[in-house]
Amino acid sequence: MGQFMIRRTLYAVVTLFILSLTIFTVVRLTGDPVTLMAEPGAQEADLARVRAEWGLDQPWPIQYAAFVANVVTGELGQSFNYEMPVSTLYFQRLPNSLELALTATLISFLIGIPAGILSAVRVNSVWDHVGKTIALLGLSIPGFWLGLVMILVFSVWLEWLPTSGQGDWRNLVMPAVALGWYFAASLLRLTRSSMLEVLNSEYIKLARLKGLPAFAVIAVHAFKNALIPVLTLAGINLVVMLNAAVIIEVIFAWPGIGRLLYEGIFQRDFPLVQGVVMEAGIMIVLINLIVDILYAYIDPRIRLTK
Amino acid sequence: MRRDNNATEPPVLRRIAVGRRHVLAGAAAGLARIASPTGAARAASIVPTGKLVLAWHTNIAARWLDPQQHDGTASPDNFLMALHDAMIKNFRDVRYDHPALAERYEFAEDAKSATFWLRPGTRFHDGTPVTPADVKWSYEHYRGAWGEILRDRTQGIELVDDKIVRIHFNEPFLDFPILLGTGNVCGAGWVVPAKYYEKTGQSGFLQKPIGAGPYKLVAQQPGVKLEFEAFADYYRPVHIKQLTMVSVPEAATRVAMLERGEADIVYFVPGELLERVKNNPKVRLAPVVSGNWWLEFPGFQNPANPFNDKRVRQAISLAIDREAINQAECGGLGVVDGNWINDDVEYGLDWPKWEHDLAKAKQLMAEAGHPNGFSVDWVTPVPNFYSRGERIVSQLQSIGIRSRLQVMERGVYLKKMQGGIREWPGVQIIFNAARIGGTWSNWYDTMFKCGGYQSKDFFCVKDLDDQFQKYLVSYNRTERKNLAEQIQRTILESYYFVPVFRHAFVNAIGPRVAARQWQDVFPTITSGYAYPWEDVQLV
Repeated sequence: MGQFMIRRTLYAVVTLFILSLTIFTVVRLTGDPVTLMAEPGAQEADLARVRAEWGLDQPWPIQYAAFVANVVTGELGQSFNYEMPVSTLYFQRLPNSLELALTATLISFLIGIPAGILSAVRVNSVWDHVGKTIALLGLSIPGFWLGLVMILVFSVWLEWLPTSGQGDWRNLVMPAVALGWYFAASLLRLTRSSMLEVLNSEYIKLARLKGLPAFAVIAVHAFKNALIPVLTLAGINLVVMLNAAVIIEVIFAWPGIGRLLYEGIFQRDFPLVQGVVMEAGIMIVLINLIVDILYAYIDPRIRLTK
Repeated sequence: MRRDNNATEPPVLRRIAVGRRHVLAGAAAGLARIASPTGAARAASIVPTGKLVLAWHTNIAARWLDPQQHDGTASPDNFLMALHDAMIKNFRDVRYDHPALAERYEFAEDAKSATFWLRPGTRFHDGTPVTPADVKWSYEHYRGAWGEILRDRTQGIELVDDKIVRIHFNEPFLDFPILLGTGNVCGAGWVVPAKYYEKTGQSGFLQKPIGAGPYKLVAQQPGVKLEFEAFADYYRPVHIKQLTMVSVPEAATRVAMLERGEADIVYFVPGELLERVKNNPKVRLAPVVSGNWWLEFPGFQNPANPFNDKRVRQAISLAIDREAINQAECGGLGVVDGNWINDDVEYGLDWPKWEHDLAKAKQLMAEAGHPNGFSVDWVTPVPNFYSRGERIVSQLQSIGIRSRLQVMERGVYLKKMQGGIREWPGVQIIFNAARIGGTWSNWYDTMFKCGGYQSKDFFCVKDLDDQFQKYLVSYNRTERKNLAEQIQRTILESYYFVPVFRHAFVNAIGPRVAARQWQDVFPTITSGYAYPWEDVQLV
C-alpha cells in the first residue's frame, strides 16, 4: 500500500510538472502582454520599462524557474494587472465561486438525479422521453444564451430578480441555474445509464425475486451502487464549476474565479492565468489522488496491479 | 448642469503676455472665482446625497487607481478624475489647462519653465494637506507613459515657497502643459501623497489609494467593484454622496442593468443594442464622438505595390461610402469628418468631408492601369470591430478590388503591428483606429512616422518625417502650427491615409440622473467618460 501511495504521488507530481510547463509555454505563445498594457501613444521606452519591471525581458528558463518557485511557496506570483499576489486574488474570489458552484451543483443534483432515475426506471416511457429531452437541451443550449434569456425574462420583463452582481440569494438564482443546467444534463445521462446497468444486474433480479418492494429495490439496492460514478463525475464537475465558470460569471458579473481567469486571459496576465490553471490542476490531481488511494484501500486488486 | 458649471468655471483660457511670461489670466480669474468665499460657500452649502452606479465595460485594472503608473491610454482618466486631482487638467471644454490643484500657473515665454501656485486649503483624503513637496515627489517619481521624456527634459524642480512650485527644463518644452494636463495621456501632474505612497509602496497604494479628488475610495473588490464616497473637503461642490463603479463586461447585462435601474450610467452600448435603448423612453443614449478610423496601406512606397499610385488610393477614398458605414456601425451617431486626427487635440486640422463618387473612382482605377481592379491579400480591421472590415471589403468590390477579411485577436494584431512590414507581406489594407490625446504630433509620431509605435516601416515618407523633425525642434509657435498643418495637409491630399469616420463611443444614461441633454453628463470634450464626477447630479 505504501509503495502504491508513493507511486501515485509521484505520478501526481509529474502531472503537475507537465501542466506547469504546458501552461507556462502556452500563455507565452499568445503574445506580448505589454502591448495590451499600453495603447497607441505609448513610447518604446515605456514598453521596455514595463517589460523589465515584470521580468518579461528575462529568458524563458529563468521566468519558468521563478514561476515554479512561486507555486512551491504558494504565492503563485504577482498579477500584472492587479499588482497583488495571485494567491490572494484567488482566495478572495474562491468563496464567491464556491457559493455559486455549490448552488449550481445542488441544482444539477435536484434536476439530474431524480430525472435520471425516473428515466431509467420508466425506460422508453413518456418520462424517459422527457428526461432525454431535458438532457439534450441541457447539453445543447449554450450557457451564455440561457443566461441572457433569463436576464431578459426574469429581470427586465418580470422584474423578479436582479440582473447581475453579488448580493443576496436572489442574485444567485439565475447564474446558478444557468451554470447548473448543463451539468444537470450530464448527471441525468450518467445516472440513467448507470441505473440501467445496475437494474439489469443479477443481484437486482434476485432482490425482485425475493419480493422486495420496487421502491426498496431502486432506492436501497440499485441507486446506492449506481451513485458511485455519478458522485465521481459530480466531484470533477464541482472543480470545473469552481474554476472555469467563465462565461456565466462574465454574463452575470459574478466576481468568481472563472471571471478572474477571463480577465487574466483578456489582459495577457501571465501569472494570473498560470496561477488559476495551476490551482485548478492541483485540485483535480489531489481529488484523483485521494480517490485512487481510497479505491486501492477498498479493493486490493487495484494496488497489486503494476 | 453645464449652465450651472459655467457660472463658476472659467471660459476657455486666454493667454496674455506679462513681462517675460505668458500668464494664464483666465485661469487666475476663474480660479479666483472658485476659490472665492462665494465658491467655497457654495461647495460647503451643497450636501451630497444619493447613490450613483456606473457600469464599466471591461474589468477594472488596479493600476488605473494610481496616476504614477498611467499607461498612456484613455481608460485611467475615468478613475483618476474621481479619486485624484491634478495641477492642471482637461475639464469640460478646456482641453488641458483647467486649473485644479494649482489655482494658477504660468508657462514661461521661453518655454523653459512652468510655475504653479497651489490652491490654499486643499487636502488629501486622509486629511493631510497637498504640499509643493507632494507635487515635486509625484513628478519626480512618476514612471508612467511619457515619463522618460519628462525626465530627460526636466532640469529640476524648485520649491519656491510653501505654495509655489517651479519646474525648469533643459531646453524649451512647448508641449509640456499639454502633456501634463491631459488626463488620458500622462499622469505626472496628478498629485499623490508622497509620505503615504512611500510608506505603502506601489502595491500597497493600489490596495488603499489616497488622492485629493472629489471622491475617496471606501471599498474595493479588485477588478470588480469600486465604492467611493464624496470627499467633504474637496474645493468644488460634490453632489452625489456615494459613487459605485462596477465592472460588467457583458454589454447586454449592462443595458439590462440600466433598464432595471440597477445602473445609472453605462458605458459602451454596441450597435446591436442601440435600437433597444433608443426605444426605451426612460433611458437615453449618450453618443460621445470618439476615435477616428482610417484606411492605411503598409508598404505602399514599393513601386510594385498597386497602392504606390496615388490614383488608386484616391479611388479607394471615392469608393468608400462613409455615411453608410457610420449608419450601419454606429446607428449614424458617429461623425463623418475629413481628417484622420481628432479635432480635439492641439493643431488638429479641420478638413472637409470626402466625396463618394463611384464613377470617378472607376475612372481613376482605369487610368492607373487597373480597369478590372486587382486583388488585395487582406483587409485587417482593428480587433474586435470585424464587421467594419467586412463593409470595407464589400464596398471595395464596387471598383473591382477583391479582398478578404483578416480577423485577428487583439494581442496578435498589436504584435504584428509592432513587427513592421515583414509581418504584412503582399498587398494589404489596415482599417486602423485611434484616439490619442494632447497634440496632433502624438498621432503622427505613433501612427505615421518612420519607426513609430504602430507605423514602424509601413510608410516612411522622408519629406514628412524631416518636416516633423523640424517641428519637434522648433520653439516658434507660428512655425510649429504651420508645419503641423502642412504635414497633415500633405498626408490627406496624397491619400497616404484614407480617413473614414469618427465613431461614437455610445454610452447611456438612466432616469435618475439629472440631465436635460446627454452632454450635461458627458461635458468633457477630450473624453468619452462622464466626468467631472463632482458635477453629476441625481434628479
